[in-house]
Amino acid sequence: MAQRMKHKWGMVVDIDKCTGCQACVVACQSENNIPLNTEDSFHQRRAMEWIRVERYWEVPDEYRDRPEEAPFQDVKARFMPVLCQHCENAPCEPVCPVFATYHNDEGMNVQVYNRCVGTRYCANNCPYQVRFFNFWEPVWPERLRNQLNPDVTVRSRGVMEKCTFCVQRVRRAETKIEGQEDGQITDKSLAEGNFMPACVQACPTNTLIFGDLEDPDSQVSRLKDDPRHYKLLENIGTEPNVIYLKKIDPRRKEDEAHG
Amino acid sequence: MKLTRRDFLKWASLSAVGAVACDIFREGEMIIQSPARMPEDLVTGRDNWYATLCGQCPEKESILVRVMEGRAKKVRGNPLYPTNQGKQSVRCEAGLQALYHPDRLAGPVARVGRRGSGQFQQIGWDTAMNTLLAQMRSNQPDAMLMITEPLRGHLGMVASKFVGAYGGRHMAFEPLDQTVLRGAVKQVFNQNTLPDFDIENTRYLLSFGADFLSTWVSPVRYARGYGEFRSNIGKERGSHVHADPRYSLTAASADQWIPISPGMEGVLALSMAYVIIDEGLADPGVAGAMTGGAGASVLDDFKPESVVSSDSPLYIGIPERIRGEDASELIRRIAREFATTGPSLAIGGGEAGAHTNGSFNLSAVFALNYLVGSVGKRPGEGGIVFNPAPPIEGIPATSPTGSVTDWLGVSDDLQNGRINLILVRGANPLHGLPPGSRFQESLNAGNPFVVSFSSFMDDTSLMADLVLPERIYLEDWSDDIPEPGPGFQIVGMQQPVVNPLPDLDPRSFPDLLLTLSQDLGLDDGLPNTFRDVLRQGAQQLFDLNRGSIQAATFEAFWNTMLQQGGWWDSDRVSTDSPPDPPSLAELAQQPSERRLPSFRAQDVDSRFFYLVPFLSNSLLDGRGAHLPWLQAAPDPLTTVTWQTWVEINPRDADEFGLKEGDVIRLISTEDHIEAVVYSHPAVPPGVLSVPIGQGHATGIRYATRGNAQRGSNPISILATEVDSETGGLAWAATRVRIQSTGRSVRVSKFEGLVPAFPIGPRAEDVVQVTRG
Repeated sequence: MAQRMKHKWGMVVDIDKCTGCQACVVACQSENNIPLNTEDSFHQRRAMEWIRVERYWEVPDEYRDRPEEAPFQDVKARFMPVLCQHCENAPCEPVCPVFATYHNDEGMNVQVYNRCVGTRYCANNCPYQVRFFNFWEPVWPERLRNQLNPDVTVRSRGVMEKCTFCVQRVRRAETKIEGQEDGQITDKSLAEGNFMPACVQACPTNTLIFGDLEDPDSQVSRLKDDPRHYKLLENIGTEPNVIYLKKIDPRRKEDEAHG
Repeated sequence: MKLTRRDFLKWASLSAVGAVACDIFREGEMIIQSPARMPEDLVTGRDNWYATLCGQCPEKESILVRVMEGRAKKVRGNPLYPTNQGKQSVRCEAGLQALYHPDRLAGPVARVGRRGSGQFQQIGWDTAMNTLLAQMRSNQPDAMLMITEPLRGHLGMVASKFVGAYGGRHMAFEPLDQTVLRGAVKQVFNQNTLPDFDIENTRYLLSFGADFLSTWVSPVRYARGYGEFRSNIGKERGSHVHADPRYSLTAASADQWIPISPGMEGVLALSMAYVIIDEGLADPGVAGAMTGGAGASVLDDFKPESVVSSDSPLYIGIPERIRGEDASELIRRIAREFATTGPSLAIGGGEAGAHTNGSFNLSAVFALNYLVGSVGKRPGEGGIVFNPAPPIEGIPATSPTGSVTDWLGVSDDLQNGRINLILVRGANPLHGLPPGSRFQESLNAGNPFVVSFSSFMDDTSLMADLVLPERIYLEDWSDDIPEPGPGFQIVGMQQPVVNPLPDLDPRSFPDLLLTLSQDLGLDDGLPNTFRDVLRQGAQQLFDLNRGSIQAATFEAFWNTMLQQGGWWDSDRVSTDSPPDPPSLAELAQQPSERRLPSFRAQDVDSRFFYLVPFLSNSLLDGRGAHLPWLQAAPDPLTTVTWQTWVEINPRDADEFGLKEGDVIRLISTEDHIEAVVYSHPAVPPGVLSVPIGQGHATGIRYATRGNAQRGSNPISILATEVDSETGGLAWAATRVRIQSTGRSVRVSKFEGLVPAFPIGPRAEDVVQVTRG
């Protein structure tokens, strides 16, 4: 008999609130010892951002086939934070020959660095492009190493890495909160103890919301069935644990959108 | 035992079979989860989170810093602090990299080569202080100038007392000064400090030029409020309209962007005022008072139909149709919605105030708030909330900066030998002043003794005779009265969260001032250390016996204040009632040189562009250029990193045969810079936008490419146009020509790094469609 999960961690991303400010991106880099993205790493297309803010240009429907002709005043920028979707049916997991990536019992897609042999099959099979390979040994000038987070392993060359939902913080929450008598993890106790993932904590507009999908009182549980909800590439059946809420555009007319 | 390869394989296969065989007795799938819970192996060390103030931006958010084994590891917003309420910006995090920057100055250095050569030699603190003391003793006191960033709180008091007791002058510097904004706030609201714009509780927000979600005034506070404003859960979602010649981050977030000609924001605001009054949507008493009883007729020139006509002298240059809507009808609709969807709020700043008619623009924008009754609200009501006087006497809650006109005066004084000693702290005027200020030439000509207190070799320290590195804010004491405050009394506390690394020997700037003061025998009446100064201030707060901290003893009060990151009293709000509304008739009848922007003449035969510089979302005015996280943080709209780019409309780019990555020269009447082309589909034709932040002269890591300059600084080509009322720099009043250099580079950008998502066949997959 399958045991019921104690927690199932998930995230809701309310696109309507995202301003694209990049606070989540740098908060993540600071928390997770992500190698410095040099100018060369962008040229080599190897910059690492476990969470990134994608920017799309949206043109009116009538210019969909010829976007370059859209009048400048009608072009809209849309922002979409994208991180590991922690899929229930993750395409990256079955292809790993050494079980370096697996689904843990709390709904997270986890990467075990010291199992990883660097085949890169997982990155190849991830439709969300959220896995990053260490092509080089990460380098920090000696003094900058003082900032590295001792809770997070520094990944060496040849190892795949990705968003962990800041599992080190979640583990601390489990130890600290559930270790106490009657201790229960709630949205409030996560926030007060600074156990939210770094991006969620930083997000100035509260676009990112994290919590336990098994807890009916959590904000993510309440928002996951919001009429605006959708999942990235839902049709391919990866069943992500990251749920997006649509942008609201009050000026977009219904007939225009369906026209 | 010798283990052969064959033995190894045998054992390995046996143990694998064993593992599977054992596992079939278990229920469920094969367990691959590591029992050690890798990779989340926690260290067992104890971490402490200390509350302090962030020094990365002028607004000084309160932060918590995670410290383990004496090293700062992570920054987060302080959830208790009323302005940022637990949130932080991209810039706050990077303070850790300033703390541990590989090129931090270890101790004092003295210039040995010619000025600006970058040749310095290390000296001890005693020698350095004796040199400075000798200079101060031999100098005429009134020939000393102290240049700092805008200082508030006790640091502001110490600096002004020190300078006052010595007999010198003190000027605050920030590159894009807020002189025009402050002038308009004084004129329209009769307030000496900036009011709080309560976006969170507003339902209809009109903004003009101010990029308040990215860099303008207090972006973290505004962005936090904006998240609540946008929430449609359990309440109605707020609407936001933004007018700006640049498609900024704020414009991208707005429901409606109005691309307007640079400097025409005031005319648009008065056009909206016309509609509100003409259609009887304003309180008749207020409308009567603002128009001298004449009604909308005083604004007849500003009718929407007139200002959108290209024949009109007041043409605001917006496209005839925006998203299918006629331009004049759009102005009417927005004015109606603004007047009928309360609470509503109109804010202006940034580019809108950076023209020769900046004061007119901002006054017209702020005047809209009177028509909808949004002025002088209480915290939590939305609209404009005035801030009360600070709780401690004699502590500045605001620090007006020198305008470019004042800096021209400084240059004259330097040239005439009236300034012999300059102390610079937290300011980089050589990077931030336009060439017309003649600051660099005057510095060379006047040859004063320059002392910098910078922790890094920046453009100004490079010209210094003596550099006395101060402590980074994470290593030092201070406090702050945030401006704008949250609408009630508040004092933020900054405490050292770590000690400087053993190989560094920086000193606290306020402590140095207090030491100098003693050595010079100045009578400033202050204690010996800055911590004691702060404790004296805290004692005054303790004696008030009110606010967020209830404590029996002063020590308990002090400790709680440090733990919470400050003291505040949400019951102490401003008692100022809204002043009489400004006269729209007077605004409308101003001479055209006050109402309309003027630009430094360019060669009339050549095709010119309006240059709209903007503060970088991560580097700000350049103060973050040496921090690799900030250099690598993609610009939200273009996703460019590490470079200086110019945003150009694709049709303009085609006309000049330019493509992405081409390096072009932007030529103003003053000088020229080079920038990389980024073809941007939402840039209005005829406008070029260039971020401020790069183009530093020094060789410190990340800010420069070795000894070569990284990117360029658009401030260095600005014409010295000023606002006609306040003398503030009109930094968006420059026109430029462009010229190809024939060179092309790869753009260092995030865009295209991962394939774009096939998000679905239609936009409604990600955009909720509502009835328009």
